[in-house]
Amino acid sequence: MLLLVSCASHTLKGFSKTIVEQPIYKAPYFSNTGTDYVYKANISIYGKKLSGLFIAKQINDSCHRIVFTTEFGNSLLDFEIGEHTFKINSIVADLDKKMIIKTLKNDFRLVLANSYHVQAQYENATDKVYKSKDGNRYNLLFIKKQSDNLYKLVRASRYKEKVVVSYSNVNNQLAESLTIEHKNIKLDIVLNYMNN
Amino acid sequence: MKIKAYWLILLFCLSGTGTFAQEQKMAESEIATFKQTVNSVSKKIKTLTTDFVQYKHLDFLSKDIETSGKMFFKQPNLLNWKYIKPYNYSIVFKNNKIFINNEGSKSSVDMGNNKMFEKINKLIVGSVSGDMFDDGAFVITYFKSKDGYITRLLPKDATLKKYIKQIELVFDKEEGIVKQVKLIESSNDFTKINFKNKIINAKIDDSAFNN
Repeated sequence: MLLLVSCASHTLKGFSKTIVEQPIYKAPYFSNTGTDYVYKANISIYGKKLSGLFIAKQINDSCHRIVFTTEFGNSLLDFEIGEHTFKINSIVADLDKKMIIKTLKNDFRLVLANSYHVQAQYENATDKVYKSKDGNRYNLLFIKKQSDNLYKLVRASRYKEKVVVSYSNVNNQLAESLTIEHKNIKLDIVLNYMNN
Repeated sequence: MKIKAYWLILLFCLSGTGTFAQEQKMAESEIATFKQTVNSVSKKIKTLTTDFVQYKHLDFLSKDIETSGKMFFKQPNLLNWKYIKPYNYSIVFKNNKIFINNEGSKSSVDMGNNKMFEKINKLIVGSVSGDMFDDGAFVITYFKSKDGYITRLLPKDATLKKYIKQIELVFDKEEGIVKQVKLIESSNDFTKINFKNKIINAKIDDSAFNN
């Protein structure tokens, strides 16, 4: 219980610690190398609304290419993100700000990670939770026992939730809808899969 | 061996239909005639309605991203660019303002103090009507092929150049109207828009530009 209290305690309220089933959890939703992941993106940042297309593809074992474009098709940013690597291929002047790049890099890395090292595991009647250390933060992966689907990912410090990713309309290793909600800044990103 | 060679030739013919298509530089006199035709046609356009299909090409993707919709244009500067598939998103240029309707969520931007939007507006209207040959912002070259007349516009402006390497307009030979726009980015990725079912000078109610 002490551990629970020290790690964003309310996030794991009602959960109890169990043994770790597997040391590594393979992320299901963006890790198919042959797949073009194309989503309509709606972004709300401090009350301002932005929209466009979010495009991601795993281009090799350790790296994703991410492009964000307007509806007209012009690229606003183009990144390559791996677990320990990061490259900016291009970014428009309006977005070329340290804070924006850092936030988007962290968000994309969180959502696109191929696997998470599981340090601890918790459960209640319906869900299990894998806890994975990530620098000075923790990632908590919430999985429905019945379907084995990842439905929520919480990035937290020892005391507070920082980012909450919610997945819905999940089927066949594809999340058709996901929401990235920030707790410390007013930034929400909603992604809806486009059947291309 | 013979069979192999046959397939190779066939493959070349098929893959070459786009790039192989005999493309020639236009002579000065042809350019003058072509410009005159396009200008007189675009002057006659009071309204224009057309369907469009947009292909976003990124080299690392296995398939182009396809979106489609309708475009409404009314002189002098009312424009509604409306995506219908696979999502509803429309952008209206009206009275120096931009109105966006993104799946029911509405917003607007004042163009009065935004030079970039003004340029975009001019670019879109110009691309659709073909009336951009007197635009000093581009270096323009002219070509002809079996499929139509092709103009290639290279931006002079350093800021625009960073985002757009080249704009290519393909004109229908008979009508003198743009049938394809291709925007090539500095990375060589591009957006290609094909227009079809064009209706010229039909009555368009102003409400078509309410967003």
